[in-house]
Amino acid sequence: MSWQRNVVLAGATSLLITIAGSVAVAGEIVWWTPNWGEARAKELATKFEAGNPSITIKLEVTVANGLPAKVATALRSGSPPDLIEVQHGWVPEYAQAGLVLPLDDVLRDKDDYFPAALDYVTWNGKVWAIPYRIETHAVIYNKGAFKAAGLDPDKPPQTWSDLVAAAKKLTGKTADGKDQYGFAITGGGEFGNTIFRTLPFIWMNGGSIISDDMKKATVNQPAAVEAVKFYTDFLANKLSPPSTLQNDGIANRQLFIAGTVAMYQSGQFDIDSIRKGNPNIDIGVAMIPHPDGKETAAIVGGWSFVIPKDAKNPDETKKFIRFLAEPDNMGFFTDTFPARKSAMNLPRFQDPILANFKAMLPYGRKTPPAKNWQQITQAYFDGLQSIMLGDASPQEAMDAAAEQIAPLLH
Amino acid sequence: MSSGRQYGLLFVLPAIIVLALLVVYPLAYTGLLSVTDDQGHYVGAANYAAVIGARVTTTAVWNTVYYVGASIVLQIVLGTLAGVLLNQRFRGRAFVRSLTVIPWVIPGIVAATTWAWMFHTEFGIINYMLASAHVIDAPVGWLTGRNTVMPALIAINAWKLFPFVAVMVLAGLQAVPNELYESARIDGAGFWQEVRHVMLPQLRPVLTAITLLLVIWGLNAITIIYTITRGGPANRTLITPIEIFRYAFEQFQFNQAAALSVLFFAVTVGFVAAYIKLFATTAEPGVR
Amino acid sequence: MSLSWTARITILVAAVVLVFVCLFPFLWMALSSIKTLRELYTVPPVWFPEVPTLANYMKVLFASNIPRYFLNSAVISLGSTAIALALAIFASYGFARFRFRGKAGLQAFVLVGQLLPTAAIIVPLFITLRFLGLVNTYLGLILIYTIITLPLSVWMLTSYFRAIPVELEEAAIIDGAGRIGILFRITLPLSLPGLVAIIVYAFVTTWNEFIFALVFAQDYRVKTLPIGLAEFSTEFNTDWGAVMAASVIMTLPVVILFLAMQKLFVGGLTAGAVKG
Repeated sequence: MSWQRNVVLAGATSLLITIAGSVAVAGEIVWWTPNWGEARAKELATKFEAGNPSITIKLEVTVANGLPAKVATALRSGSPPDLIEVQHGWVPEYAQAGLVLPLDDVLRDKDDYFPAALDYVTWNGKVWAIPYRIETHAVIYNKGAFKAAGLDPDKPPQTWSDLVAAAKKLTGKTADGKDQYGFAITGGGEFGNTIFRTLPFIWMNGGSIISDDMKKATVNQPAAVEAVKFYTDFLANKLSPPSTLQNDGIANRQLFIAGTVAMYQSGQFDIDSIRKGNPNIDIGVAMIPHPDGKETAAIVGGWSFVIPKDAKNPDETKKFIRFLAEPDNMGFFTDTFPARKSAMNLPRFQDPILANFKAMLPYGRKTPPAKNWQQITQAYFDGLQSIMLGDASPQEAMDAAAEQIAPLLH
Repeated sequence: MSSGRQYGLLFVLPAIIVLALLVVYPLAYTGLLSVTDDQGHYVGAANYAAVIGARVTTTAVWNTVYYVGASIVLQIVLGTLAGVLLNQRFRGRAFVRSLTVIPWVIPGIVAATTWAWMFHTEFGIINYMLASAHVIDAPVGWLTGRNTVMPALIAINAWKLFPFVAVMVLAGLQAVPNELYESARIDGAGFWQEVRHVMLPQLRPVLTAITLLLVIWGLNAITIIYTITRGGPANRTLITPIEIFRYAFEQFQFNQAAALSVLFFAVTVGFVAAYIKLFATTAEPGVR
Repeated sequence: MSLSWTARITILVAAVVLVFVCLFPFLWMALSSIKTLRELYTVPPVWFPEVPTLANYMKVLFASNIPRYFLNSAVISLGSTAIALALAIFASYGFARFRFRGKAGLQAFVLVGQLLPTAAIIVPLFITLRFLGLVNTYLGLILIYTIITLPLSVWMLTSYFRAIPVELEEAAIIDGAGRIGILFRITLPLSLPGLVAIIVYAFVTTWNEFIFALVFAQDYRVKTLPIGLAEFSTEFNTDWGAVMAASVIMTLPVVILFLAMQKLFVGGLTAGAVKG
C-alpha cells in the first residue's frame, strides 16, 4: 500500500526539516500575527528586511479562535516564537507570571503614546509590551430609524435618561410591520464583550468592581448596582431584543444590519461591515451617554507586541519592534487607531465618521491589573446573566458576585 | 497452556507502550502542577481547596451529571432504534445509511454554530418554522430561557452522536447468526419480540462498550456547549470540563485547572472501574 | 421473507424521519453556502437565496489554503487511522482471547489516557513533541491522533472480537493453525463490520479535531481543515458563506467514504459454520 509508505516518507522528511529548522537560525525572527492583519504584516516585514539584510522574518499566522490557549501553551512550553501580538488585557497576567521580557529599552517617545495604552502594559514600574493599537466603544445608531421615530438624527442622546427615552421611542413595529428594538445590550458570547460595555457605565457613576487598592469587592455598592440596574433594565423593559442572552457584539451588529435594532454599543471596526451588509443604513456615531452631571467613560481595548521570555532572538526582535512602533508604520498596521498620537494625523484616520470614536479616546481607562482579573470579571458576568435570566435582582446578584470575588483579592 | 499467558501480553504490548509514552508524562506533569503555585513553590492542597470551595464547582458537577446522563440515554435509545431500522432491508438502504452519519461527521464547531443560529430567537429558522405552522405565537428563547437552554443543548448533543451508536449497533447486528432469527420465528415471534429476545441480547457486549465510550466522550467533549453558550447563562450549562478549560485558558490559573483535572480524573477513573467490574467482566466468552 | 404492509410503512416513515433529522441542519448549511452575506442574517430568515452564488465555493477552492489543508488532513487522518487500527487489532485480540496477569489493570490503563481533560494534557504533550522535534510535522500530529483514537478503538474492537463465537477459532486450533494465522484468517474477516466502524470512528475523529491541531501545527504545510475553517474568521467578522462552503467540502468525503464501505457491512455468520 504505497500511500502508507508515502506517509512515512512525508513524516520523515518533515521531521528532518523540522530538526534542521529548529536549531535557532541566527537573525531570524518568528512572528505570530493574527490572520486579519496578515497582508499588512507581510508588507512591513518585507520593508524591514530590505533595510536589515541580516535579519529574516518568518510569519506564522494565527486565528482568533483558541488564540489565548495557543499563546499560553507556547509561552509555557519553553519554545515560543520571538514576537507575539496579544490584547492589552492579557499582558499583566503574562508579566506577573514571568512569561515575557520587559521592554523599557524598546520604548521611544514615551509622551507620544496615549497614557491609557502605556498604563495597561506597565506593571511593577516596568513596561512589558509595546502597544500599537487602541480603540474604545461608542454608540452606533441608525439615523433613518431616528427620523422615523421623530428624533433628531444629528442630536443623539447624551445622558442616561435621554438614552432610555430615545430607546423607548425607537422600540415597536416599523412601517413594514417588523419588530424594532431601541437599544441592544449584550448578554452572551465571550464575556469580554459585556465587560467592555457595562464596566464603563459603572465607572461613570462613580463605582467600580474592585477598590482602587484591589483589596475589596465594591461591585455591590450603590453606585455600581445603580449602573448595573440601568444596563439590565434595557432587557427587563423589552428595549433590547429577547435574544439578548445569546448575543455578543457581533450578533448585535447583525441585528443592526437587519434593521431589528436601532442603537447599540460597538467599536469602529463594525462600520465597514455595516456598510457592506446594508448600504442603505445612514450610520450615526454618538459618544456613550453619561449620567446627568457626570462624564462619560470607556474601556481602552487594543493590541500590543510582546517578546516571550524564552524567545531565541530577543535583540533582533527588539530592533524590529522599534521599527514597527514608528508612527507611520504603526498607523499603517493598526486596524482601528494607533497607540501614538502623532500617528493619528495619517489620512486614513480623518474619516468624519470616526470623529466620536476619537472623541471617546481621552475618556478611555484601563482595567485594574488585579492578579485574578479574569476570574473576577467572570463572577461579575455570571451575576449580570442571572439578573437577565430573572433569577435575581441587581442587588442580590451583585452581592453574590462580591462574595465570589472577595476570596480572589488577597 | 501457560505459553498462552505470555502470548496475550505480547499482543497487547505495542499499544500499551505507545500509550504509556504519551500518557505518563502528562499525568505526572498535571499532578505536579496541582500542588504548586505559579512560581513553582509547593503549596500542598491549596489549589484543591480553592477549587472545591468555589461555588461554581458544585453547580458544574450537577450540570455534568444532567447533561451527560440525559445525552447518553437519548443517544443510545435513538441510536439503537436507528441501527435496527438500518438493518432492515429496504430500497435505498445504503443511501439512508450514509446520510445517517452526517451529524457525526460535520465538524463540531460548525454543527454547534449552525444549531445556535437555527435556535436563535430572532434569526433562527426553528422559531420561524414553528411560527409559520402556528405552533407558537411568540418566538421561544431556546437558548436564553433558564428551563430550555440545557434541554436544547442535550438535544444537539444527542443529534450529534446518535449516528455513532447507530453505526456500532448496525455493525454488531451483522454478527447475529441467522439461525437465532429463524428459531425465534419458528416460535412465533413478531418483530418487536425479535428485537427484545434476539437482537438486544446479542448486542449486549457492543452496547455495554458503547455506553462506556459515550460516558468518557461526554465527560471530555466541550465543543457544543462552549461554542454555543460558553457555560452560561449564569453557569446553567457549565460542565466540569469547561470549568477546567476556563481555569486554564481564560483565567490563566493553570495550577487550579490541574487540581480540578486531578479530581475529575480520579472520579471518572473510579466510575469507569466500577462500570467495568459490574458489566464488562461478567460475560467473557472465549477466553483461554 | 416479505414484510407486512404496516411493517413497510413504519419502516418508510421511520426512514424519512431519520433522514430529515440528520439532514436538516446540513441542508441549512448547504443553502447558506450559496447565499451572499446579506442574505445570511435576515430577520425573518430566508430559505432560498434570491440569487444563488457559487462565489463562496470559488473562494474556498481557489483563493484559500483549503486545498492544501485538505491534503494535510487526509495524510494525517489516514496515517493515524492506519497506525491506530494496526495497534488496536493486536491489542484487542490479546484482551478478547487471552487471560493473563494484570489484564484488567492494563485494560483500565488503556482507557485512562482518555480521561484526562484536554486542557490538562495540551501543555505536557506540546513539551513532549518539542523534545522529540515533532512540532509542526505530519508525524507529530499522527502520533498525537493515534493516542487520541487508540484507547477507544481497542475498547470497541475488543467487544466485537468477543462477539465472535470462540468455537470457530477453537476448530482451527485443533486443525493446527497458529494464533496469528487465526487472527488474520478467521477473526478479522468475521469482524469486518466492526473494523469498518472503527476506521470510520478514528478517521472522523481526527478529521474534525481542532484544538490539538491548532497548537501543534504552525504553518500551512501541516495545518488541517478545522484550522482552515477558523481562518475564515477575523477578529470581528466571520465569512460565513465561506465557512459553510468549506464545511460542505469537509463533510462530503467522509459521507462518500462511508457509502463506499457499505458492502463491507455485510451480514453475519452463515449458519452451520460451527456445526460442520
